[in-house]
Parts: sequence; C-alpha cells; structure tokens
Amino acid sequence: MNCEDYRQAIAAEPSYDGGAAHLAACSGCRAFRDEMRSLDGRIRRALAIGVPELRMPDLQDVDGENVVPLAGRTRFTMPAWLAVAAMLVLAAFVGLRMVGSNVTYPSLADEIVAHLDHEPYALRVTDEPVDAGRLAKVVPANLAAMNHDTGLITYAQTCVINGKKIPHLVIQGQRGPVTILLLPDEAVESAVQLEGESINGIILPVGNGSIAIIGERDEELGPIQQNILNSVTWST
Amino acid sequence: MNSSDAGTTRRRRFDELVGVFHQDMYRYAAWLSRDRTVAEDVVQESLLRAWKSLESLRDDAAAKHWLLTIVRRENARYFERRRLETVDVDDLTPSQEALLADQPDHELDDVRDAIYRLDDDYREPLVLQVLMGYSTNEIGELMGLRQGAVLTRLHRARLKLKDALNSDLSET
Repeated sequence: MNCEDYRQAIAAEPSYDGGAAHLAACSGCRAFRDEMRSLDGRIRRALAIGVPELRMPDLQDVDGENVVPLAGRTRFTMPAWLAVAAMLVLAAFVGLRMVGSNVTYPSLADEIVAHLDHEPYALRVTDEPVDAGRLAKVVPANLAAMNHDTGLITYAQTCVINGKKIPHLVIQGQRGPVTILLLPDEAVESAVQLEGESINGIILPVGNGSIAIIGERDEELGPIQQNILNSVTWST
Repeated sequence: MNSSDAGTTRRRRFDELVGVFHQDMYRYAAWLSRDRTVAEDVVQESLLRAWKSLESLRDDAAAKHWLLTIVRRENARYFERRRLETVDVDDLTPSQEALLADQPDHELDDVRDAIYRLDDDYREPLVLQVLMGYSTNEIGELMGLRQGAVLTRLHRARLKLKDALNSDLSET
C-alpha cells in the first residue's frame, strides 16, 4: 500500500484500520488520518441539526378501508360510491389520473399505484440481472412464458394484488427502473393510462389478463410495452 | 383479533417506529433538500406513505432503511412536483438560512456551510455514512451505486470539505 491508496481509503472511511505497516512508516499519512478523523467529528456535529417536534399527519384519511392489507383485500366488495371515494383519496396523494378510459377499474389501478411504494428496494438503478433461478420461481412456467425481449430484469418478487399472487418485476428503462406487474387474472377492457406527478404507466389488456407497466414520468413506455407484449405469453 | 384491535396494534407499531426514527428521517430530508420547510413537508408525506404501506415492512429491524428509502423517494417527488431551481447559496430563503444557522457555533457554521455547498452526489453519501451510520454497501443499495462509486464519492466529499475549510481558514 502506498500513500495514495492509504489516503483514498481513510478519506472514504475514516474508521478504516488497514494499512498498519504503511502507517507505521509514514508520518504524513498518520497526520492525514488524524486530520480526517478530526474532520469527521466536526462533520457529524454539523449534520446533527435540531429536529422540530414530531407532527404526525392526519392518518385517519388513509385509515380503515383504504389501508386494508393487500392480501386481505377483495375487489368489488365495497359499494361503488365508496370505491370511487377511495380512489379520489388515493389520487389526492399520488396525483393519479386515469386517461383514455372511463373509471371502470378503480380498484385495480388503486392497488397497482399503491403497490409501487410497498417495495421501495425494488426501484434500484443497477445493471445486475436478477438470478435466473429466482426469476423462474417468480414467473413459473405454469403461469407465463417469457423470452429474452423484456430487457434487463433486475428484480423479481411474488406479490399480492387483489388477493392473488402475481409476479412483480423491475427492468431498467431509459429514465430509471420500470415496474412490470404480470396480472394473468385481471382482465381490463382496454388500455388504462396511469399518469401522475411522478409516474407514467399503463395497464394493458393481454389475453384474459393484463400487464401493468409503470416508469418514471418521462420514461418512453412505447418500446418497453412492445417488448413486454412480444415477450410474455400466458400459460393458461 | 378483531378489526379494532388490529387497527390499534397497527397504529401502536407505527407510532413506535416513527418515534425511534423521526429524527433520522428529518435530518436526512433536511440535508437532501437543504431546506427545513421542505424537509418537514417531505417527512409528512413520507409518514403518510409509510402508514399506507406498513404491511410491506415485514421485519422492524429493517425499519430505518425502509423509512429512509421512502424519504428519499418523497424528496425526489417533491422537487419533481415543484421543479425547484438549483439553489444559489448566496440567495437563500429563510428556511434555507435556518438550516445553516442551526445551533450557532462559528466552527460548526463553517462546516455546515461547506457541506451545504457540496453537490448532491457527494453530500448524500456523506450524510448516510456519518449521520446514519450506513456502510458503503448500504449506501450503494439505497442510492443505486456500486461500492466503488460510493467510496470514490465519499473520498472526494471529504477532500472537498477539507479544501473548503482550509480555504476559509486562509481567508480569515
């Protein structure tokens, strides 16, 4: 280890305790280490700003029917007026707007948009593909077949939408991660556009089911839609 | 367990988590946004989102990372909605000044000002490492970066701060 290597390491992590042999022979690096550790103490104190008293938001608006766990939630059990009310409450929070269709599927759109926040870890920018074995487990052959046109799949998880287990995938789009939900049992009459302050999505009818594709607001979904439609075939 | 009991249990769990991590949420939001008022808004939105998706947090041991991830997304959404222009450090609003003027202390003011002037790419990993106690792996996971990129940003961040503070000293 030379001085440059050591100083890079200690400046990245002042608690770094490697390079003992180099340190013993280099007074310059010992001084640099001490300076970095002293600086870190000042940074820590500077960052620890005062915090105002906790002001809890009004959780009542999203209480009750609106926060029933997804696994226990069923479609079409609420009166229509309540479903629409729930949709409006949700829209107030996420800025959701449905375009190109009358509001025939508030429950499905509601659950899909809400689900985006269920697994924030999924939305990572990465070039590491998900393990093939995991992908095969999440998208079993008896549910759907996928060829390699989907793009780089970086996340795969079995999730629950409307009480049914479905594959939740994430691919890497031009503007960031794009969520793909395969919904073999959720039929929609026509494409349902989801537009929001920060999202751009669509629920596409595919056979007797549908596929939801949601990306960042400025993501160009056209090519992704085409790839997904070419790639996915329901097995049932 | 009836629905009322379940609701009470759910609320108690939420309150306990927020009680433990509220300070981290606020400080992270404040240093991401560099604005105390924005930080309060971001934390409010984050609490709502966390409440709505509480069932997705299967292990409370992961609560801190889960909540900070939500804060990070909400901060991005906030700025996307508002399309706030880049802040000119010489033309601050009162709530931005309030961040820099926290706990008046001449030495800390200088450090705080230098941190404030760091680019987001350097400031965020520094906050996560120093204030939140994150490892470089955890920072990479949260920010979508490889570990090497995290180490480079942390190294550069500290050198920039060191240079800025030494420059301040030489000017006084």
